[in-house]
Amino acid sequence: MTVPHQRTHPESALALHGLVKRFETKVAVAGIDLDVPAGSFFGLLGPNGAGKTTTLSMAVGLLRPDAGQARVLGYDVWADPIAAKARIGVLPDGVRLFDRLTGTELLAYHGLLRGMDAGDVDRRAAELMDVLELGTGNRTLVVDYSAGMKKKIGLACALLHAPRLLVLDEPFEAVDPVSAALIRDILHRYVAGGGTVVFSSHVMAVVERLCSHVAIMADGAIRVRGTLAEVRGDRSLEDVFVEVVGGRTATGSELAWL
Amino acid sequence: MAVKAHHFVRLKLRLTANGLRGQSWRVVMFVLGALFGLFGAFTGYIIFCLPGLLEKQRAAEIVTPLGGALIVLSWLFVPLLLFGVDESLDPARFALLPLRRPTLIKGLLVASLVGLPALATFVATLGVVHAAARLGGPAAALTALAGVASGLLLCVAISRAVTSAFATALRSRRARDLATVLLAGTTALIGPLQIAALAGAQYADWGRFGVVADVVAWTPFGAPYSVGLDVAAGRAWAVPVKFVMVLATLGVLLWWWSATVEKAMLGAAGAGGARQRAASRRGAVAELVPRWLPANRFGALTAREVRYWWRETRRRASLITFFVIGVFLPVFVTLGSESSTTPTGMLIFVGALAAATLANQFGFEGSAYAANVVAGVPGRVELTSRVAGFTVYAGPALVAITLVVGGVTNRPQEIPALFGTLVAAFAVGLAIVLPVSVGAAYPLPDTVNPFAMSSGGGMAKGLLSIGALFGTALATAPLLLGSWLLGDAWLWLGLPIGVGYGAAAFAIGLRLTGPMLDRRMPELLATVSAAQ
Repeated sequence: MTVPHQRTHPESALALHGLVKRFETKVAVAGIDLDVPAGSFFGLLGPNGAGKTTTLSMAVGLLRPDAGQARVLGYDVWADPIAAKARIGVLPDGVRLFDRLTGTELLAYHGLLRGMDAGDVDRRAAELMDVLELGTGNRTLVVDYSAGMKKKIGLACALLHAPRLLVLDEPFEAVDPVSAALIRDILHRYVAGGGTVVFSSHVMAVVERLCSHVAIMADGAIRVRGTLAEVRGDRSLEDVFVEVVGGRTATGSELAWL
Repeated sequence: MAVKAHHFVRLKLRLTANGLRGQSWRVVMFVLGALFGLFGAFTGYIIFCLPGLLEKQRAAEIVTPLGGALIVLSWLFVPLLLFGVDESLDPARFALLPLRRPTLIKGLLVASLVGLPALATFVATLGVVHAAARLGGPAAALTALAGVASGLLLCVAISRAVTSAFATALRSRRARDLATVLLAGTTALIGPLQIAALAGAQYADWGRFGVVADVVAWTPFGAPYSVGLDVAAGRAWAVPVKFVMVLATLGVLLWWWSATVEKAMLGAAGAGGARQRAASRRGAVAELVPRWLPANRFGALTAREVRYWWRETRRRASLITFFVIGVFLPVFVTLGSESSTTPTGMLIFVGALAAATLANQFGFEGSAYAANVVAGVPGRVELTSRVAGFTVYAGPALVAITLVVGGVTNRPQEIPALFGTLVAAFAVGLAIVLPVSVGAAYPLPDTVNPFAMSSGGGMAKGLLSIGALFGTALATAPLLLGSWLLGDAWLWLGLPIGVGYGAAAFAIGLRLTGPMLDRRMPELLATVSAAQ
């Protein structure tokens, strides 16, 4: 690779410039610019189909953009994928895990794939299984896990190699309240320790509780961005979201037969 | 509004059309498949009607039941072995709709009739009607037409019933051993037919052949095709008997199918249940990576592959299928042919078939491959580990096949050379299949039926496998030439030359495909994880 390993914008953990993705005729993401400051807890909001998953997939190297750049801690994801991918942990949404492995096997797989030392993998895997209450010595195949457990083992795989940037797509979907609280705790501690979290969601309550920074997406473009306080102002985040996205409000006359 | 069979047909046509939309390679596959079907249909038509055109009643009585039985058996085995079943109308998707089971079965059956294979079969067997018309006039032709129609229904029903039952059997993890035996047994049925065909072809002994044909004409496989000729020969009494036999078989098959469909529909929601396994006290790495593999990236990838070949039903099905064909085919060919030459050509076919199992290796796991993309696994490591994982199963199978063939031909001195040829064919096949698996991957539907294919996918799978087989046959031709030219020296040189030739071919294939995978990783992921 002839691209120099130089770091630009060391202050932003994730920097997207002019990202575009078209699927056949539909424009899924129409030129997104986004800077995620290092050490921030960044929430990417948007209704279904806004392009959140497409954007995050392009940011972590899962989907090749038609145009634009994505940089992780200064490393270009598409020009220098090895250096960039080594620094991120990803929890994709709507993507299957290697679910014919047991939870521990899956963790070992991810750890060794990341080039970790076998001893470290053993220690961290046991700790993660314990902390995330997936059961130490549990030999159930991941395919037989519940939806919430699958999210948790996916999160564990993303955390295992202690990346500096975590990109989580819908980490709280299908997770029960107890597990959600646990995941929130872990992510809080991770950010307090200097890590950066980018996650997508459409659950306003979670975002308001967790995030330092927010961006709202609709129709493949970012409509509003800034710190939580800037975006929210003196209103609730939900009101801002509905106004920005342009949702319809019920008049009471439709669905009268229901 | 009552649901009628034509709704299923329209759904099937719509799904097929949507599957083709905007995917040029699928259109190409579809057109190629249509051409193949057309070719097969006309060849079949000519073979069936030729005896009639020549006014040879006895020849027709031999060709028709045997040809018809061959067609029914192909409907039984080809989906299992090569193409997979078009599960675009997966019964599980109808589980929540208020449909009565007879309606569902009727709809699925009629929808199965709409498709290239059914159409090609129908056109081919119309040759029987043509022949009957020439030999016995309109009455014979009408009877033959009814026979051919019932034969088509039998073909479709047998194919759906057996694959559905087999899929249900394989899904239950405990029943897999039973399924293995069943498949082996049914595949073994090919043997007697083959022996009969080969023996007949060699001696052109029409008398012996005729006896076989007369027997087959009284089985449900040959009966639907022979009724027209019975009328022509003045055996009208046989017609109702044969029709009762065919309809009874059809009834049993439909009943069996509907029973397994019920299970398949329930299975989608409550499949398996968590397997209780003994708790492990070992470390995570020791649990994943066996002791004989290094505890690094290569070891992890290979260990995962080894587990997947056994734990995933789709892979397990292709593994078992390969093993059964690999052992049985060379044995039957050897036993069937009277000449005592060793079946080298057949071994090359088997080696290539082993490699062709990997033709869509990335399609097996679908979107789960994202984990490897995110971790940035280098292409060469990815490919070597996959081949290593498969060889853990294929390697012993290849050894076993060589030993069995050497034993059956009673020429143990040829075993080393045979093994060399087999290894060379396997490695050459891999060299051809690796770029195919990266460049021409296709998504597999997310169902528990290991034989399920998305619409159009079956054609892709079959054509890719056949292409790989052809390529391997061509690329291993120098070895065959060598074995002829070198004579007895080949007995000793065969092993080193075969292994060396294979290793070189594999190295070239890997060298070319590694960088290709590095470049195409996100595109490959998008292809295999596309929702069908």
